[in-house]
Amino acid sequence: VIRMYGVNAAGNSVCAFVHGFEPYFYIEASPSWDRDVRQAIGEQLNVRLRLFSKTKGGPAVIRIELCQKASIWNYQGPDAKRSFLKIVVSVPNLVAPARGLFEGGLHIKSVGEYIKCTTFESNVLYTLRFMVDTKVVGGNWIELPAGTYFLQRNQQLTHCQIEAHVHYTKFVSHPPEGEYSSVAPLRIMSIDIECCGRKGCFPEAKIDPVIQIASMVSVSGRTEGPVVKNVMTLGSCAPIVGAEVMSFDDEKDMLLRWRDLLIESDPDIIIGYNILNFDLPYLYERADALKIGAKFQVWGRVRGSHTRMRDSQFSSKAYGTHEYKDITIEGRVQFDLLTAIQRDHKLSSYSLNSVSAHFLGEQKEDVHHSAIADLQAGNEETRRRLAVYCLKDAYLPQRLLDKLMYTYNYIEMARVTGVPLSYLLTRGQSIKVFSQLLRKAQVKDFVIPNIKVTGPANGGDGVGYEGATVLEPKIGFYERPVATLDFASLYPSIMMAHNLCYTTLVPNDRLATVPVEDRAQSPCGDWFVRGTRQRGLLPEILEELLAARKRAKNDLKAETDPFKRAVLDGRQLALKVSANSVYGFTGATVGKMPCLAISASVTSYGREMIMKTRALVQEHYTRANGYETDCEVIYGDTDSVMVNFKVSDVTRAMELGREAAGFVSKAFPPPVKLEFEKVYFPYLLMNKKRYAGLLWTRPEKHDKMDSKGIETVRRDNCLLVRNVVTTCLERILIDKDIAAAKAYVKGVIADLLMNKIDLSLLVISKGLTKDGDEYDTKIAHVELAKKMRKRDAATAPAVGDRVPYVIIKAGAAKGAKAWEKAEDPIYALEHSLPIDCQHYLEHHLSQPLLRIFEPVMGNPKELLCGDHTRCIAVSTPSSASGGIMRFAKVTLSCLACKAPLPSGSKDSLCSHCKPQESEIYSRTLETVSELEGQYGALWTACQRCQGSLHMDVLCTSRDCPIFYRRKKVQKDLNEAMAQLERFGTDGDLDW
Amino acid sequence: MQMMDLEGPQSSQGLTARYDELLAPVTSKDNDTSFNRASATYSNLDDRFRAAKRSYERQYAQLYFSRLMLLKEVMLARVQQLWPGVPVCTILEVPESKEVAVIGTVYKNMKLKPSILDEYSKDRGLKAALGAANFCSGDDSLVLEDEGARMVLRDVAGPGPAGGSTTSGGGSEPLNVQEIVTGLVLAVRGVHEPGGDFIVNAVCFPGMAPNPHPLPAPVPHRAAAATAAVVAAGAPGDKYVALASGFCLGSSKADMLKTQLALDFLTGNLGSPVEQQLSAQIVRLVVAGGCIGQLEALAGGGGGGSGSSNPYNRQAQGVALQPVRDLDLLLAELSAGMSVDVMPGAEDPANVALPQQPMHRCLFPAAGMQGSFVRATNPHEFESDGVRLLGCSGQNVDDMAKYCGIRDRLDIMQRSVESRHIAPTAPDTLTCYPFHDKDPFILETTPHVYFVGNQPEFATRLLGGGSAAGAAAAAGPVVRLVTVPSFVRTGTIVLINLRTLACHPLRFDGTLGL
Repeated sequence: VIRMYGVNAAGNSVCAFVHGFEPYFYIEASPSWDRDVRQAIGEQLNVRLRLFSKTKGGPAVIRIELCQKASIWNYQGPDAKRSFLKIVVSVPNLVAPARGLFEGGLHIKSVGEYIKCTTFESNVLYTLRFMVDTKVVGGNWIELPAGTYFLQRNQQLTHCQIEAHVHYTKFVSHPPEGEYSSVAPLRIMSIDIECCGRKGCFPEAKIDPVIQIASMVSVSGRTEGPVVKNVMTLGSCAPIVGAEVMSFDDEKDMLLRWRDLLIESDPDIIIGYNILNFDLPYLYERADALKIGAKFQVWGRVRGSHTRMRDSQFSSKAYGTHEYKDITIEGRVQFDLLTAIQRDHKLSSYSLNSVSAHFLGEQKEDVHHSAIADLQAGNEETRRRLAVYCLKDAYLPQRLLDKLMYTYNYIEMARVTGVPLSYLLTRGQSIKVFSQLLRKAQVKDFVIPNIKVTGPANGGDGVGYEGATVLEPKIGFYERPVATLDFASLYPSIMMAHNLCYTTLVPNDRLATVPVEDRAQSPCGDWFVRGTRQRGLLPEILEELLAARKRAKNDLKAETDPFKRAVLDGRQLALKVSANSVYGFTGATVGKMPCLAISASVTSYGREMIMKTRALVQEHYTRANGYETDCEVIYGDTDSVMVNFKVSDVTRAMELGREAAGFVSKAFPPPVKLEFEKVYFPYLLMNKKRYAGLLWTRPEKHDKMDSKGIETVRRDNCLLVRNVVTTCLERILIDKDIAAAKAYVKGVIADLLMNKIDLSLLVISKGLTKDGDEYDTKIAHVELAKKMRKRDAATAPAVGDRVPYVIIKAGAAKGAKAWEKAEDPIYALEHSLPIDCQHYLEHHLSQPLLRIFEPVMGNPKELLCGDHTRCIAVSTPSSASGGIMRFAKVTLSCLACKAPLPSGSKDSLCSHCKPQESEIYSRTLETVSELEGQYGALWTACQRCQGSLHMDVLCTSRDCPIFYRRKKVQKDLNEAMAQLERFGTDGDLDW
Repeated sequence: MQMMDLEGPQSSQGLTARYDELLAPVTSKDNDTSFNRASATYSNLDDRFRAAKRSYERQYAQLYFSRLMLLKEVMLARVQQLWPGVPVCTILEVPESKEVAVIGTVYKNMKLKPSILDEYSKDRGLKAALGAANFCSGDDSLVLEDEGARMVLRDVAGPGPAGGSTTSGGGSEPLNVQEIVTGLVLAVRGVHEPGGDFIVNAVCFPGMAPNPHPLPAPVPHRAAAATAAVVAAGAPGDKYVALASGFCLGSSKADMLKTQLALDFLTGNLGSPVEQQLSAQIVRLVVAGGCIGQLEALAGGGGGGSGSSNPYNRQAQGVALQPVRDLDLLLAELSAGMSVDVMPGAEDPANVALPQQPMHRCLFPAAGMQGSFVRATNPHEFESDGVRLLGCSGQNVDDMAKYCGIRDRLDIMQRSVESRHIAPTAPDTLTCYPFHDKDPFILETTPHVYFVGNQPEFATRLLGGGSAAGAAAAAGPVVRLVTVPSFVRTGTIVLINLRTLACHPLRFDGTLGL
């Protein structure tokens, strides 16, 4: 029985019990096997499988059918079909053991056969098998025609509102087109929990209680916002406008009430931020710790079924390997925004704060986990404060989901690739291609072998092959328009053009079976049959994907309804991603069907094409052929070529670009197409994969500044580097004023050396991934975390936190190691520890600057030395910085010339400077005024962000750009104020 | 209340004409007549704006909190009077679908409001394009916050066109988003729709506070006839306070000729005995900020900036202080002859956060010698001959003008007086000191004269007093609102008659008629 969960158009949840679908797989049959042998195989299997069969009675193997299929692997010749045995077993769990028997070797004693063979399609999950065979795709509409089903009205097995039973041959699966392309009104629940950790530790489910759970339920496609806003708190909590507050004295009651809420609201999708790795496992484990696991862990839709959690590992070439807790919630999809955003977007930080700042344009306050305990221990007002924060954390994922249109994009992706929605997040790319391949293969009577995976299990990265090519860049600053020619969907089009597929690959030992005119050799030496002889499956899949994308794009242009547009846009994006992942599927050495012959051929064709394009363009666009000048290809990477036509006019460069694209395209087999996309003008080419330029797609005005591989986004760099690099590029590219850029850099360096740079610009942060003792070498941020734990265990960063630090001039030792110089920015601020400007200059600024300026000016090193580096200011060390300062005595000195004042003097200036008092006063005043302005702006910005005027700002979000600044301005302002007061106030004066 | 005509323009033109002939060398005749400058009592009330020791450890929440607490009592009484029978509750107690009144601080969400966070965002072009004129937009919205929670306010009619009818004077009125700025304490009457926003039927403001004491002389129901000359308007014994602002010494626009004319007039060195007589009746000059033009070269000290100017040079700063020295001389000359109060303004050498502290004595070595020279705070409050005057150098009104849709400066001042708060946008958009146990900008009493300096033009209005009925004049509080124009732009100073509160602009035109 398969349970299909969904909603109907009215929004009622439905569960359809689909009966009668049997799991099966194939093996290749030897021609000698007659009916008796097949019978014997079945019996032997039954005997051997009895061990695995949980359901006693009933044979494991239901029947064995003989059918005519072809293997997808390698070109099989014109009459590929051979006999295969379709072995149908009674329950899905038996497929794997049965496969093991065949692959391990099986003696059929009664007929004296020893079978050891490859199985086919035995690694297909039952769900996927069902979906492929019934043509169901993820997120489509299923119709149960009247009379084919039976409604279960009482004694329902699930929590769904409607329950129906149907045979698998009876329902109708509608392809997601036309009226069936709409997205069902799915119920989405967003959750966030708060836990009360002990001082200095990250909360642990075994010990630390859950204190608040916020839940929001909304319906996709409706705009009026959440239908349920609820927060459950441990201990009393003052009411919150627009949200239901439920307070509990006992944590167990709260958890159980939340379970009820979950079941009552019956969401189809559970979302949240980092729920997969934190919130859900925490709740699960917490219930175990409270010994209410059995009662609490029933989150699924099947009545009474216990939700299970296990450790799991996710490994994918595209997304890397990481461990996670796998919680199976029957009938509900878990969608973690963190995972999704990490996959789809490259950001410098993935905290909810910076993600919402990036996508929603609003900062979010961040309460440090050590502050949570204090708020919880307070009164109902402080708990209310926390509850508001918790609700916001539940609401933001909801808004992100809407803003990024994840519901639409993922449902469309599921529809296009034909996998269930839940696969998209928990599995890699390959399952999607595999599903498409299965569907295609089934139509064409191909079967897919279960290939033994050879890969990291055998050590190393498997067999490598040469990747894409990069043309040697001609480094320089181009003040003429540079046209960029791109191959549209390069890899998919190569596969189509050259008919690269499993089914068309001709192994070297079988070359003789195919006439030479029917096969072609790829540049890396593998042979494939030509499309005229047999079309491959992958090219067909790709063709369909790209054709569908073209259709979706055309529909998108015509559509005006924003919801339908969202669906169509999601679809065309899904189609593009799937087309590109087909190539990756063949190259994934840990994947289901790695075939390096295909992937290596693809890249080799790609390399050849880039080289050929360069040659063609440079031969054709010459003065000899009547063009203005000889053109030059200055750079090329993977699928693009940069051409300098050496004309000064953008319009002309675009004309030539378009012409060249057409001209070169003719040299390649269709559908390979070179497209002219954009012009860079001016263009700063620094190195391989490092360039920047103004991007033009219309001749009137540039679209934006585009840069690749430059220190503008990486988080390891401090903000200063990013700012400087961005500003330099703006000055050079947009203003075309190299002198201004140079002056700017010199100014920044001078400011840096004179200690005038805002500290928050200098903060570097690195993630603390494991405990300090587990690192082998001494690393700055790890050592700092240890140091901070000694100072105050409560606020020290725990594993998983990011550790922000600045580099200071450490102690007396001249040659202090880098790891000794890292210091907590707040600590450095409070104790006036001097910043190591030289370190920032040498290790952070100089490299990126030299790279940028190298193509522009003769001797970029001159930026780093000269007049502007002469004046160095160091903040007065306090006694906390150690060393000799601990023994120093503080005396007042003249504010202007620093001459020490006679002890006991209350004056601000020495007798020499006294005549200039008003000037010196004005200068101090100027500082005060500037700081006062900043103070006001910074603290009110925080107030706005926290959304309250009458309550103090608690936020300690170190991701926020103004966090350090507001702290620093507080300190600086008090210092400046004290200095100002030395001039005397008016209090003691009369008038 | 009623609005009065501006008495100004006509009379000032008359005067200007006469000055032109008076600029000619004085012949002789009555020149020996000597006038004795009138004197009046003076008490400085700046104490609440003074902070001897300033510490920036606190946040702003407590300022808002004290503001709400101090005005809440007033609002309660006000609501009971205006909306009898409507229950008052806190936001957390608001029931659904029942009409209630709620008191709180208002916060206005404005998408165009500049934020320091913008410095870190990528598109800087937007900010530059906006300029600094006005940050209102059609989708601004209001939230009301009390000590417990906040809720979104929505107009009963939905977002209507901004502008419309101006305030009707302290009664209840419909919600008009663009007439409200962040930080005002007010009450709203309306219904909380289930699961949604608070639908507002009417709002009300605290209303004018009572005067500290009645005026010594009764306020005339109608002002003096507009055609009459300044001198004729008053009785012989009348005393005047002169208000000026925006001399902007050192700026490129400063006109020393105009300034000198004004100075000569004030010290009694200009004009015929008629003018000298008038001058002698001026008991005090208040300079409401704007003494110095922008001093750019001084800005070497601040953090962060990496301007292209050479930051290593200290010599240039000596020159930059020249205007301050000029100011000192000018004020010394003035205060030798009369009492002068000097308030700091936005560009003056004082701290920027409100309340601005008096400019330091070391800046005024010459003027500081005179006993009649007062370095005042901004805002500045004092009482002279029983008349209470309160003034600002203009930052408060300028800032409100940026964040609301009211164009007329007098209307803004009126809203401010009726809300019993002179700087509601502080600290949100106007920098101020983080007070923790008080809010000095609250008007516990309404001054008799409220003036604001550095405004684009002169305007005045009398609030309260001779109300529409014209009956018992002493019934309500009275206030004379005055916008003191920037001198550098208009050449105008303003005289206030301490007996009648009549208000007269005097324009000095320094053009040579070429």
